Amino acid sequence: MDRRDALMKLFSAKGVKVNTNRGEAYYNRLKEMMQKRLDELSNTPAVTKTDINKVLDAEGLSRRDFMKWASAITAMLMLPASFTPLVAKAAELMNRVPVIWIELQDCAGNSEAILRSDSPTIDELILETINLEFNETLMAAAGHQAEEHLDEAMKRFEGKYLCVVEGSVPIGAGKEWCTIGARGETFEKHLLRVSSKSAAVVAVGTCATFGGVPAAAPNPTGAVGVQDIVKGKPIINIPACPANPANITGTILHYVLTGQIPELDHLNRPKFAFGYRIHDNCERRAHFDAGEFVEEWGDEGAENNWCLYKMGCKGPMTFNNCSIVRYNSGTNWPIGAGHGCIGCSEPQFWDKYATERPMADSHFKAPTGGVEKTVDEFGLGLLSAAGIGIAIHAALSATAGKKEEEK
Amino acid sequence: MRPGYKKVERMTTFMRINHWVVAICMVAAIVTGLYIGHPYYQTLISEPAVNKYVMAWNRWVHFMVAIIFDVSSIVVAYLYFFSRFEKPILKILPTPKNIVEFVMVFINLITFNRVKKFDSSHADSFNTVYFLIFHLLLAWMLFSGLQLYVHGLESGHSSIGDWWPWVLHLATDWTVTVTGGTYMDVRYWHHISMYFIIVWVMFHIYYQVWRTIFWQEGDIAIVFGGSKFVKDNK
Ligand code: HEM
Ligand code: SF4
Ligand code: SF4
Repeated sequence: MDRRDALMKLFSAKGVKVNTNRGEAYYNRLKEMMQKRLDELSNTPAVTKTDINKVLDAEGLSRRDFMKWASAITAMLMLPASFTPLVAKAAELMNRVPVIWIELQDCAGNSEAILRSDSPTIDELILETINLEFNETLMAAAGHQAEEHLDEAMKRFEGKYLCVVEGSVPIGAGKEWCTIGARGETFEKHLLRVSSKSAAVVAVGTCATFGGVPAAAPNPTGAVGVQDIVKGKPIINIPACPANPANITGTILHYVLTGQIPELDHLNRPKFAFGYRIHDNCERRAHFDAGEFVEEWGDEGAENNWCLYKMGCKGPMTFNNCSIVRYNSGTNWPIGAGHGCIGCSEPQFWDKYATERPMADSHFKAPTGGVEKTVDEFGLGLLSAAGIGIAIHAALSATAGKKEEEK
Repeated sequence: MRPGYKKVERMTTFMRINHWVVAICMVAAIVTGLYIGHPYYQTLISEPAVNKYVMAWNRWVHFMVAIIFDVSSIVVAYLYFFSRFEKPILKILPTPKNIVEFVMVFINLITFNRVKKFDSSHADSFNTVYFLIFHLLLAWMLFSGLQLYVHGLESGHSSIGDWWPWVLHLATDWTVTVTGGTYMDVRYWHHISMYFIIVWVMFHIYYQVWRTIFWQEGDIAIVFGGSKFVKDNK
């Protein structure tokens, strides 16, 4: 990071606020622009045969369900209700925007989250209809065949495709052990090559955005996020473990609608998704304010759905919308299910958030580098040292000191 | 008054009021801050939700105290430069005179008052620098605390207007970068800095008592009556 970047970061002064009322004129202009873009897109040939209406039919979902979903997504993207038809149209045109999805150091959990649900939501179905040109987890091709396909897609859609990345990039010692494809390309080179010809890069999941679990101490592979490697391209981060399908769909939809990336916060996360603090939209918040906390798993507090702060909930320092959109077709979310938030959408979450106890009781490396201490243990050590110092000074003053009147 | 001594004015009424307000607020900030970090009492009392806002009240007190610190800090920062009584800034600038005075006072402290070669009738450089450390620590608590506070204003609105969260972001976002890049780090340093402040307070009280005993000039009275006594050598 050069000095200017560093300074900018220091005084970023970027809240997560999104202005949701920009006036008639603004929205009219926006609508016109979107209309034009969608017209253009609908004139380009659909690359995949999958059509959202057919997919919905197959799942037994009606047009009405689809429109209900479209109005919810319109609200999520913070657009006025009159944009609903445009959003619906954009969803139908999702198969016009080519996507190349690459996987690096990861568990494929984000793909799994989208693909494996037994009653997929419309968000998940929409993601099935995108023009997915390349995805190692899903495609039949392997080896040289797969590589050829990738090269071809990159050439054909140069400057047009979205490069979706899942997983972190190892750049430490031994990075050459992480290779991909028949040519033995390192993850770093693979990422740089595929992203270089893309329109924008979408980092999906916390590993791709901030390094995530592979980057947890002692970070043996020197894992970093996509934004640390790829420069000079628009980057959208959609962290969380796994990233919520609703947020992935929302981001791609926004791109289909406008050809641009959504408004981002200081960590390059879309504000429409990460502009909410877990703690402020948590159903247990009343118990937090009342001072009613779960003290151990299964106790009376747990039975009464009390606040999980003392069990290590990091909702007060975590920005994500899972308290609102939830997971698994809106069934539930971690805090609803009785476990505190581990801050999965924040940088360095594994080391600094997922400690399973309040910050004050978490073990941190002592400044000496040695034994792990809690902040209070360190503080009490400091106070004892000061107390001993003062006691010694007092004792020596009493024996060796000289008061003015004695002089 | 003992013969041969004269009275010198050391703290104005405002300075003394400020001192005690800050001292009381500091105790309140520590007690409530520790509760916020690890709610240590009353998690399982009586029936639920009968006017029971234990965490909310603790946070309320913590933030009220913070606002008092805010106001006090702004006034004190102003007085550093423009006080009509004594401008602390003149004692902080590293001029040769100040450095010599600082070293002399320090030597006196570590030789248990055997080498007292400075004028103790006015605020000395050592004392002023020591208070500067406190004011810097307090400013740090303000900035890091306000950063933690603005996380709750993510809508960009507040009861006093949208300018407030905007100003808070502008003034405190740097605390995230300098502490290590996450909101957790700010919280960690906010908590650990409390201990630096407590250490500061411990030595502060000790030193005032020590001075009173060894200098024999009634230093401890400064913070109550505003003045102390020094030998009249005329
Ligand atoms: C100068 C004396 C202060 C002391 C000793 C102090 C101490 C503390 C402590 C120990 C915590 C708990 C941290 C943790 O373990 O999670 C805390 C939290 C906090 N403090 Fe302070 N603090 C002080 C001043 C301030 C100021 C000036 C503000 C400004 C508004 C502030 C705002 C906060 C906030 C917002 C929290 C987090 C509370 C929450 O998440 O609900 N503090 N403080
Ligand atoms: S469970 Fe977590 S997010 Fe919910 S109120 Fe408690 S601390 Fe906040
Ligand atoms: S509750 Fe917290 S840890 Fe769980 S998914 Fe949401 S942001 Fe991630």
